[in-house]
Order: sequence, then structure tokens, then C-alpha cells
Amino acid sequence: MIALRYPGAFLGVTFLAVLLLASFVAPVLFDLDPLAQDLAAALDPPNAEHWFGADELGRDILARVIAGARTSLVTAGGAVLIAGAIGVPIGLVAGFFGGWRDAVLMRIVDVLLALPNILFAMALIAVLGRSQGAALVAVGITGIPSFARITRAQVLSLRSRDFVVAVEAMGGSAGYAMFRTVLPNAWSPILVQVVILSSVAILLEAALAFLGVGIPPPAPSWGEMLRTGKSYLYEAPTYAVLPGLVLTLTILSLDTLGRTLARILEDRADHAGDAA
Amino acid sequence: MTGYVLRRLLQLLPVLLLASLGVWAMVFAVPGSPVGALVGENATPEQIRETVARLGLDRPVLEQYWFWLLSALHGDLGLSIQSREPVAMLIAERIPATIQLGLSSTIVGLVFGIPVAIISALSPRGWLDRALSGWSALALGVPTFWLGILLILLFAVTLNWLPSVSAFVPVWLDPWGAVVNTLLPALTLGIYVSGIFARFLRAALLGELKADYVRTARSKGLRERDVIGRHVMRNALLPFVTVVGLMTASFIGGTVVTEAVFTYPGIGRLLIQAIDARDYPLIQGCIMFILVIYVLMNVMVDVLYAYIDPRIDYG
Amino acid sequence: MSPTSSGGAAPPDAPVLSVRDLAVSFGAGRVVRGIDFDVFPGEVLGIVGESGSGKSVTALAISGLLDASANVSGSVRFAGLEITTANPEDLRHMRGVDVGMIFQDPTTTLNPVLTIGRQVTEGQVAHRLISAEAADAQAEALLREVDIPDPAARIGQFPHQFSGGMRQRAVIAMAMAGHKKLIIADEPTTALDVTVQAQVLAVLARRRAETGAAVILITHDLGVVAEVADRVAVMYAGRIVETGTVDAIFRTPRHPYTSGLLRSLPRLDTVAERLQPIDGQPPIASRLPSGCAFHPRCAIGRERPECQTEPVLRDIAPGASVACHFPQSEAATLPARIASEARGARGAPLLEIEDLRVHFPIRSRLLRRRIGWVRAVDGVNLTVHAGETVGLVGESGCGKTTTGRAIMGLLPASGGRIRFDGEDITGLPRSELRRIRRQMQYVFQDPFASLNPIRTAGEIVAEPLRIHGLYDQMGGDIYIGGLFEKVGLSAAMMGRLPRQFSGGQKQRIGIARALALQPRLLILDEPVAALDVSIQAQIVNLLQDLQRELGLAYLFVAHDLSVVRHICDRVAVMYLGRIVEESTRDALYATPVHPYTQSLLSAVPLPDPALRNARRRIVLRGEIPSPARPPTGCTFHPRCFRATARCAAEAPVFASYPGLPSSVACHFPGAAE
Repeated sequence: MIALRYPGAFLGVTFLAVLLLASFVAPVLFDLDPLAQDLAAALDPPNAEHWFGADELGRDILARVIAGARTSLVTAGGAVLIAGAIGVPIGLVAGFFGGWRDAVLMRIVDVLLALPNILFAMALIAVLGRSQGAALVAVGITGIPSFARITRAQVLSLRSRDFVVAVEAMGGSAGYAMFRTVLPNAWSPILVQVVILSSVAILLEAALAFLGVGIPPPAPSWGEMLRTGKSYLYEAPTYAVLPGLVLTLTILSLDTLGRTLARILEDRADHAGDAA
Repeated sequence: MTGYVLRRLLQLLPVLLLASLGVWAMVFAVPGSPVGALVGENATPEQIRETVARLGLDRPVLEQYWFWLLSALHGDLGLSIQSREPVAMLIAERIPATIQLGLSSTIVGLVFGIPVAIISALSPRGWLDRALSGWSALALGVPTFWLGILLILLFAVTLNWLPSVSAFVPVWLDPWGAVVNTLLPALTLGIYVSGIFARFLRAALLGELKADYVRTARSKGLRERDVIGRHVMRNALLPFVTVVGLMTASFIGGTVVTEAVFTYPGIGRLLIQAIDARDYPLIQGCIMFILVIYVLMNVMVDVLYAYIDPRIDYG
Repeated sequence: MSPTSSGGAAPPDAPVLSVRDLAVSFGAGRVVRGIDFDVFPGEVLGIVGESGSGKSVTALAISGLLDASANVSGSVRFAGLEITTANPEDLRHMRGVDVGMIFQDPTTTLNPVLTIGRQVTEGQVAHRLISAEAADAQAEALLREVDIPDPAARIGQFPHQFSGGMRQRAVIAMAMAGHKKLIIADEPTTALDVTVQAQVLAVLARRRAETGAAVILITHDLGVVAEVADRVAVMYAGRIVETGTVDAIFRTPRHPYTSGLLRSLPRLDTVAERLQPIDGQPPIASRLPSGCAFHPRCAIGRERPECQTEPVLRDIAPGASVACHFPQSEAATLPARIASEARGARGAPLLEIEDLRVHFPIRSRLLRRRIGWVRAVDGVNLTVHAGETVGLVGESGCGKTTTGRAIMGLLPASGGRIRFDGEDITGLPRSELRRIRRQMQYVFQDPFASLNPIRTAGEIVAEPLRIHGLYDQMGGDIYIGGLFEKVGLSAAMMGRLPRQFSGGQKQRIGIARALALQPRLLILDEPVAALDVSIQAQIVNLLQDLQRELGLAYLFVAHDLSVVRHICDRVAVMYLGRIVEESTRDALYATPVHPYTQSLLSAVPLPDPALRNARRRIVLRGEIPSPARPPTGCTFHPRCFRATARCAAEAPVFASYPGLPSSVACHFPGAAE
């Protein structure tokens, strides 16, 4: 029923489920070595043996896309985890207590926001060197401000609501009000942000790899495949197109899912005022 | 108004200072010595001595930062390790190219985005709105670099109409050449920008259309196009301008990526080349420059907001 | 239905507007279910109903402003135009030239980014009634007609530079510009304070007389209807249940709902021992009861078989019609009001407030420097004795809620003393306050906002016990269930979430929560202001019963002088952070001696059309000044009809008034002539 009401999100979830399954289960079941070279097949177009074709070293592009999905999902997941674990507490404390804590924490967040996130990540990688860890940390740090700001805004609007004031009137402590009353009511926009930031993180990771500052080769990554594939547009146009298609579908799926989630939660909040 | 602009700039000063501290401190975080990072591995002892003296690298750390900041404020961002040319000059050379790309893609974005937003908002959740919303979701969701590749495949590889590598041809010297060379990158970035305009202006318009004053305007017997044009549009611009301000960051990011796709000689490409070559003075210079541009763009957005909203007292 | 009327104005034959069998639905919700009425030139038709009765949707349907999601059937004829099927151009012309609309909330009905002058005249300019060049002069003239001072300068200002009352007057100017035949006013004064409401109603009445327009006045406020309307239509659950002249409706209500509403209303002019609420809740449009929609709440219908069919609106007397199988015939159905004496007996002082001050800093935007103070509460003295109810009344912004919150320790006091049961609790540390808070609890105005939306009702009521670690000691779920029963809810509802309750039920939960710790004092912050009249009476009765049973003391913070008169033993009137008059209830309402109290009482519209012209009205000038820049001397002097030079220079002291149990802060106190 939900599938019929939100067909876009349903398709998105289906695609993401297939992608997850493919990237974590398929390598166990099938012989998919993203690094196995077969120079004779170099730059072959899609065929029965190589469904997505082969790259300049004759590696199977499908196997590399699947392995790249793993890289991408792990990096994005880790980054969102870092961003949330740091950003949510910052926003909670800043919004709940206000005053100097708010001023100091938000100034730090402003500094993180002072650079567009791709440049921030590039600068960080320029210092840390290229590695999956560096990409994960860089993408994660760029996500902190959005979590902090969204949590803060939500907490701020809840803070002055009567049911939070009521906790104080009953004699509840600040900790009780913050963790037991405000935070449980603040989850929905944070949840939406998790989905949206996942798509941002995947895009950012791919963009870094495309610019040649992400995860270093030969480790398979979508961005890196696009970067190399771009050099063979005349010889093997599908080389850059197919990994890009998977990347795009992933981002679109998460984007649709995030917006549908936001709409569902918004509708639910609208109906919360209705009497029984 | 001038006072308001100055005050906004003043408020951003601490942020800029802290960020510049971070950029300066970069060289200390790099493995190896900061001097090595600043002059390169093949530098002569003389070059090293000169750099140490110029940047005061033998002084206490805070003094070093002060030195660096002062010379940066004077336009002296040091020498590039690779080319041994002043960083400021290298950046200045690339500015016109990036401005041409930025402006032309903004135009593309406006031309496609604004009408889409208005048409969607007029019949919310109708078939046209669904189709156009789908389009803006694509414009925002398709990664710029993949879209660029697709456009190259179509217009350069298959149709052979446009070059697959875009040179910078100044529009004031050779308008036609400029169009031929800038069209694909401008389209690539512009489609993304149009997605921003379409989605967020639509959302802002829909939000405003629910407001009570719209009903008041209709109750006066105004034409629907006047209700939208005179009443709704100006109010919708407020949340919209805020979002545009937040999106300037991804616009700058998009410029960097687009320049990479088309090997277009702008600031973004300069930065990537610098990172590739571990040319730290050039990296620092590019980042500081982009930082300042970004901050100025945000001030412009704030000023625009204050100009539209009479409730903000900027006296 | 024969629409003849014997109201204020004798209407000519042809109606301006004829509505026949109008129905509006949104999806499954049938919001308006077949209504008929006429409006004649020069008359004021009042449409009365509680929230959800369909009155506002009716207003939008008449003007053709419903959006596309509404299904409209039936007929609305205005000056030869069938509005339900008219093309957009004709509708536009009708709205621009012949019909004006006034909406409830003047803060949102005006466009924040356009100047007032432009908004006032743009309708006329759009319909070429005036030229664009003449617009400024016209705007100035229109603003002058609604008593806006300095209109030449005001036309260039934006809505945020206008006060609430001025905005609504600008909206009236806008709606009544030109030669309108019909004005539709939807709750035009609901968002305004009572003294400002009196000003706006006066302007509306004068402009109506000048233009001769017919007016449809939609409101929930029976007092406003009694004061302004010539004829009345009462709506319930999307139907008109009764129409008649204003005198007939108030003197001999025929429909049990109408008489129920009048009985449940607390009155400013008399005191009844107990209000008689209408049982149950108003129905929801998507889940209407079968038959007569009112029968589940009706004292007469109930189980009678006739009430299983929906009654039609039929004529019952000249100019009067009713939709009921058992209409009442005589005025005898309204019980005589028994005047009750306020209880004089007092216990020991429980709460004593001395010279309480709450000042908020105003900070500059750039450097956050303090550039001034908002004196929200500026020297309040008040005592509440055990077991009594003290009313703290005033208009919005007078500091009454701030006072309540400062007593609770929710806001820091800037000065003064608060003593509870003899103990000074001002500035106590949080841990100490916790102990005091067991004795003193707070009930909030808005039952929608004061309950945690993700906790069940049972958890919400148990929360204070859990915070104080007393849950098991007090008896756990059984005790909570007992509290539910005590406030008139079933213990079986404990597992439901707040959104599954109606407004009145939510307020009962709020009260149960406040009672959980067995406090001795409740601070009630506008506890019934957000509720419909029929529900309001239920809660007021509950509060009185609880007080009698538990010996509670109440500090009752409210703006509604009628409710306060009904429930309080003593009353203090606040103006701009200070108490200007305090007395026993009967003395204060019988012989107010402060000019502000006098004007406040005279501004309240009474639900009795017979008093319309009999009462002397004091309409105050201006509106409440900002507490950030209070006037010098007596803060009331710029609006006072007795003010002299002394009042501007010297602040009066709060002293007892000879011959009455009253204290007053005024240089020239005295009973009104």
C-alpha cells in the first residue's frame, strides 16, 4: 500500500536493496574479482562475459562497479556516522542551553561551513594524503555542520514549547528535559538528514575520486572509474556511462527516499493536532 | 545600507580569520617540515633560506601566522613550487575564465529554473508539476561530472558539434568562439543550478500561496497573475534567497568539478593541479581566494535579503 | 423559510445575497451540509458557531474563495450572479467592486512586504475605480476614516510598523473602500484585546452606517453578536440550526443547542452558582452522528426515535426558524441566574508576592550589548490564601503570564520577594525549588502544546511522580487511573497519545498532571482560553469541583473578565507590568474605581441585546504601549479619560480605597458616574 502511495520512494528502496545485496552478497556467491586483468578483453563493449564491458586493463567493469558500491557505501556510512555523532550533540547542547555555549559551538560550525565542502575535503586530503580513511574523515567532517544546525533548530523550537517548560515546572532536571523530552521529539528531521547526507556523502566521495584526490587506485571506486573512463570516450563510451548510471541511480534513490520521508513525517506532524 | 553591509562583513571577520588560521596551519600538518612543504623537495638551500626569512619561519608560531596574514593581505601569497611564479599572479590569470563560466551557468540556471518553478507552483501535484519536479530532481541528483561526460558523448563524440575539451575564449574578444567553448560546461553546471532554482523557488512559492495575505489579495478581486506577481513572488523570494545563499557552496564545488570535466582553465582546475603537485603555497592561495569569494557571495545574499524584506532594519 | 425580519434595520424586500441548500465538502468531510439564508441591504447578519461548525467555510464559499479541493453544491446568488458557477472574471469583479472581506488575524492577512497604502487601494486601482495617481490620496482618506492618526505618513509604512488594532482598522478600510454592497467579516476581532476590540467594532459600525453595506459577521463570541447583529443564524455541525432576530435568539432560544450555549456562558453581569455545560464534544465533519447531529449532546432529544432523522429548518414564528423536532417555546427554558456571594472566609496566606519585578534585557544585534530593559513585570504585590481563587486579569502584554511563570521559578525574578507558606523561595537553587514545586503546579493555556506528543496520556500524568521518584510510593498505575477518573476521563484512556484526545480532554490531562503531586496551589494560565464555549464550561466546573474537594488554592491568570468573575474570590487587574486595582470579586465588578478597570469592564460585549444601548461605553484611546518604553508617571495616563498633568509626572502608589475592600493605584480613583 505504501508502495502505491509513494512509488518513487518504493523504486528507490528497491534499487538500494539490490545494490546492498549485490555489493555484500554477490562477491561471496559469484566469482567477481575487480582486480583480475585480462588484457585481451581491454575496452571490450558489454558482452555476455563482461555485462558492463571491460576497462583499459581488461578488468570486468561490473565487478568493479559492485566493488565500488561497497567502497562507496562504507565511506558514506562511516562519514554519516562521524557527522551525526559529532553534529547532533553539538546542536543539542547549543540549542538547549543557548548563551555562550551556543555562541562558541555555532562559531566553530560556521568555520567548518566557511569553505564549500568539496574544497574542505580536498584541503584535508591534501594534508592527510589519499586513502579511504582520509576520504571518510573528510566527508564526515563536512557533514557535521548540517547535523548541528538541523538539531539546533529543532531543539530551539522545542525548547520554548509548553511541554518542555512543563518538565521544568514539574521539577525535572535539565538533563531530563534535554534527553528524555526534547531529543525524543527531535528525531524526525535528523533521520531525514541521515538519508540526505548519505546521498551527499556518496556524491562527494565520487567527486573526490573523479578529481583524483579520493581513494587511490587500484581500489575500485565509482568516481575513479568515471575519471579513467572519460579518457576512453571514443573507444569505449559505456566505460564511463554505466558506472555513472549506477552512481546517479543511487543518489536519486536516496534523494527521493529522503524527500518522501520528510513528507511523511511532515504529514504526520500536521495530523498530530487533530482530535480523535 | 552601506552600514549594514559593513556590519555583515565585520561579523564575518572572525570566521574568515579562524578559517585562514586553518589554511595557514595546513603546512604544519603535512608530513615533513613546513619549509619543505612551502618550497618543495628540490629547492636549493638558498631558496629555503629566502623563504624562511620571508615568512619568518624561524620566529614563534603566532608571529609566523601574522607574517603570513600580512603578506596575504598585501596580495603576496608566495611563490608556486612548480612554476616559481607568484601565486597571486597565477590565480589572477584564471579569474576571468571562472567568472565567465560562473555567470553563463547562472544565466542558464535562471532561464530554465524560474519558469519551471512558477509553472509547477501554479498547479501543485498536477501532472505538469510532477513532470517538472521529476526534472528538477534529475537536475539536482545527476552528478555534474557524469552529466558533463554524457554531454561530451552526445555533442562532441557523436554529433561532433562542439569541442570535448573547452578552452577559455573571452566573450569580449571572440563571442562565437566563447559560446562554442563555454556552452557545454555552462550547460552542465547550469542544469544543476536550474534544479536549485526550480525546486526551492517552487517550495517557497507553494509555502507562500498558503498564506492568509494571498486570500486577502484574492478577496480584493486581483487577477491571479497579479496575486502571484505582486504579492506572492516577493515574499517567496525571502526563503528562496536564504536557500540560494546556502547553495552557493555547492555552486562553487560544482564549478571546480565542471572545470575538471572539461579541462577548463579556471581556478578550480588550478587548485586540482596544485594538489596533484603538492604545491602547497598554490593550494593555500587558491583556497584563501575561494574562501573570500564565498564569504562575499554570502554577504551579497544577506544584503539582497535585507533589500527585499522591509522588516529588516539595516539603518 | 420566510426571511422577514424585525431587527435593527427594516430591510427592503430584495435580498443582497441568497444562499440556498449550500453544501461544501472536502473529501469525506462534509463541512457545510445544506444551508439557506438571505442577507438584506443594510442589515448585520450574525453567523454564530463553535470551531468546526462550518461558519468560516460558509464565508469562503459565499465569496468564491474556496480552493479547488472543495466540492461545492447548491446556490449562492449575489446581485444576479450565481457564485457557485460564475466564471473567474465575474467573481473577480464581484470581489473587487461589490463585496469586501475582513479576516480574523490582522498580522497575517496583510502582505508583510508591501506598504499599507498600496494594499488598501490596490483593489480599487485594479478595477479602475480610481486612477493609480489618485491612489495615495485615496489611501490617506480611507485610513483617516478608520481613525488612524497621521494617515499621510502611515500609507508609506509596512504592516510590521502598525499595531494589531491599527492593522485590523486598515483591513476594514481596505474592505470597505468604494461602494461595497456586502461585507463579510470572519471573526474580525477575535485576535484583538477587549479594549481594542471595542474600538474596532465602533469603527466597523460607523463605516457600515456611512456606506449602508450589508454585513455578514461570523463569530464564536455571543457577546459580539448581541452587540452588533440584527439577525442571527446559529450553526452546528455544518447546518443552520436556528435563525431569528437577535432579541428572539437571546431571549427565547428555540433550539436546545442555542439555549445550551447561552447557559454554558459565564456572564459579566451576573454570577451563577454553576455553569451548565453542554455534554460531550462537537462532532468532526468526517464522523457525524446519525440523524440530528446534535442528539448525542442534547438534553431533550437523546434517545427519542424522532431524533434519528435529521430535522429540517422550518419556520416557527415570523422571522424565526429552527431545525429541531422538539423546539422549545418559551423563555422559561433559561434558568434564572442565582447571584452567589463570593466566599469571604480565608485560610492562611499561602503565596505572598512583594514588589515582584521581571525585567528582560534588550540587546543590540551586533555586539549583544544591553541597550535597555523590557519591564514585563514591574512591582507586583499579591497574596493568595489557602483554598481561595485569585484572578489576575489584563490584556495581552500586561505581564500576567510572566508573573505566573516567575512565581513558578520558570523565569528569574529581577527583584522582589516570593514567599510560599511563609518561606522565601526567591532565587532558590534548583534542588530546593524541586521541593517547593511539589506544592505548587502549573496548568498551561494551550492544551495542544503542553503535552509531550510522543508520550501516552498515562505517562504524561505519571511524569511528575517519576521525576520526583514517587511513582510507586503513590500507588503507581492505580493512583494514575484514579487521577483520570477525578478529572472526568476514563482510566481506559491512559494508553492513548495526546493527539487522540480533543482539546477539552487534553486540558483535563493537563490538570490531572498538575494534581499528581498533590499540590496546594495551582497556577492556571488561561486554562480555558483555547477552548470552545461549551467545553470551557465543563473545565470551569471541573476546576471548581476539584477546589472544593481538595481544598486547592488557585491563581487564575486570564484575559476573559466573565470567566474570572465566575470563578474567582478576589481579582487583581494588571496593566503594563503593574497591578492597578485589586479587590474582592463583588466589589470590583460592582464598583470598579480605577479608570482602566472601568473601561475594561465597559468594553466587554455582553450576550444580551437589550443592554446594547443601555450601557455606557468607555472606548479607550490608543493601545497598550510597549513595556520597553513605558510612559512616564502613571503608565496608563496617555489613554486615561481622567488624566491630568500630575499623572504624566508622578506614578501613583498602590493604596487602599476608603469604603471598599479595594486597593488602587490611581491619583483620581472613584466610582464611574
